[in-house]
Amino acid sequence: MSKSREKVVGVVGLYDDPSSLLRAAEGVRDAGFTRWDCHTPFPVHGLDRAMGLKSSPLPTLALTAGLIGVLAAFVLTGGLNALHYPIRIAGKPMLSWQAFVPIYFEMFVLFSALTIMGSLFVFCGLGRWHSPLHDSGVMSEITGARFAIVLGADDRMYSQADAKTLLEATGCRDIRPLVQFEEEDDAII
Amino acid sequence: MSAELGQSLNDFVPPPKPCTGLRNAALVLSAIGAALSLTAAFNETHRVRLGFGYLWGFVFVWSAALGSLFFVGLQHLVRAVWSVVVRRVAEMFAASIWLVALSFVPILLYCFSHGGASLFPWLDAEHVSHDALLQQKQPYLNLPFFAARAAAFFALWIGFAVFFTQNSLKQDVGRSSVEPAVRMRKASAPFMLVFAVTTTFASFDWLMSLEPHWFSTIFGVYVFSGMVVTALALITITTIGLRSSGRLGSGVVGDGHLYNLGVLMFAFVCFWAYIAFSQYMLIWYGNIPEESFYLVRRFEGGWLFVSVALGVVRFVVPFLALLSRSAKTNPTRLLWVSIFLLAGQLLDLYWLIMPQLHPDRPILGWQELGPVLMLVGILILFVSHFLERHLPVSVGDPLFEESLRFYI
Repeated sequence: MSKSREKVVGVVGLYDDPSSLLRAAEGVRDAGFTRWDCHTPFPVHGLDRAMGLKSSPLPTLALTAGLIGVLAAFVLTGGLNALHYPIRIAGKPMLSWQAFVPIYFEMFVLFSALTIMGSLFVFCGLGRWHSPLHDSGVMSEITGARFAIVLGADDRMYSQADAKTLLEATGCRDIRPLVQFEEEDDAII
Repeated sequence: MSAELGQSLNDFVPPPKPCTGLRNAALVLSAIGAALSLTAAFNETHRVRLGFGYLWGFVFVWSAALGSLFFVGLQHLVRAVWSVVVRRVAEMFAASIWLVALSFVPILLYCFSHGGASLFPWLDAEHVSHDALLQQKQPYLNLPFFAARAAAFFALWIGFAVFFTQNSLKQDVGRSSVEPAVRMRKASAPFMLVFAVTTTFASFDWLMSLEPHWFSTIFGVYVFSGMVVTALALITITTIGLRSSGRLGSGVVGDGHLYNLGVLMFAFVCFWAYIAFSQYMLIWYGNIPEESFYLVRRFEGGWLFVSVALGVVRFVVPFLALLSRSAKTNPTRLLWVSIFLLAGQLLDLYWLIMPQLHPDRPILGWQELGPVLMLVGILILFVSHFLERHLPVSVGDPLFEESLRFYI
């Protein structure tokens, strides 16, 4: 750890209750920001609407993966029993789909569950080890009793003065710059 | 009375007003049904079909009332907050259980008469004397015990329905005490045990014993799953109807409540399919004649179409229609799916009951439809009567305000 350069990557606004956070989120949404997020100590109902979040692609992904699972199960069981290794069991038809419905069902569940888990990691940005928020001290406050809005500097709407004014207009009393330390020693990590 | 009531309601729900339109429709429906039923009753050739049709209609209104009673008990058991604003609708249908009990009396009288043997083969002494299996089943399948069981079931159901409804109605007037809510919560757990046992044996008695050789241990759960779907569909239809007619007051039932009804309906649609397929697959896999003949009859000739339609109407269509999140908050979608599911319940019961009468192909005529129209008309009549006298929302429930604030 030697000298480090500081770079402002955003602005954090802290609020004391969920309803002022909701109002502020609506304000930021209406201002047209896209690179921003809210942090809360517990799930706040209605925040998705206040932030103008679009519905998640997760259900479609899960359904598609599940149907692929059903198809895989059908090919696996039917292909084995009817084509590659045909054995007549209990006098039933070779392609007895009824017997394999539990397998179709389980494969649906397995494929969609794994897909949901995998896409959760992707959507949550797994692979990024660190966030400037971790050094800011904001995290310890929002896991206690406060609510934060973070505006990212990479937003095309962003300019530091404007972001500050916007947060002030929503009634925020505690606005802090978000700073990233670029440490020369371990910049790679 | 209404003024005094109105003051304790914190302006959420308007006081009850007459529902003439609904009552007139119900009167017409039940009058047509009663006329058809009476015509069939006085004709020797139609009487057998009337018996089956009456049982069909009876089981339908029974499943509506008992499924709603289950819904009420479940909400108390889990101390659900969201459902407080829709629970009164379920209580209303549950309260109709005494009418269902009354409508069982003709079936009982029919069983005591000579004609009963055409409905339940185990009532026919001549038939039983040639049938070793039925002789073995006599200790359970005999008329006095059958009647005593039915009386016991209805006594328990009416007891619990009166208990839950009266305690809830009591809260409407004086809302200072939480005692009724606590009492209902305590009673809901033993109710669940009673409900499970009575529903299973009632479905054995009234539906499975139509084919007294056949047995399926999952049958009670099968009937239960369809029953809950029916109750949820009725609760949803009534809630949406009350909301759009302004009887519910504004902002009482919101998207969150509709969403939860839709989710429950979706869950029980899947549950029905799961149970129905479980029953089917084990019998199909085992392929033992003493079990499989029941399904073979339903998968041959004209009945194959009904069996396939059952899967489509009760599972495929409602599953796809309710799958997306937005569908569960869309009143129009929920309304149509609910009506579809009620038709599905009628189809399911038809599939269970009628192959006994028409083994070769499904037949549907005025003789079967008459009693269904009559009993459904009487149920709607009861609903209109209830809505004229009582509030459609249990405003006095200690969780009422919390329930209003429920949203997703």
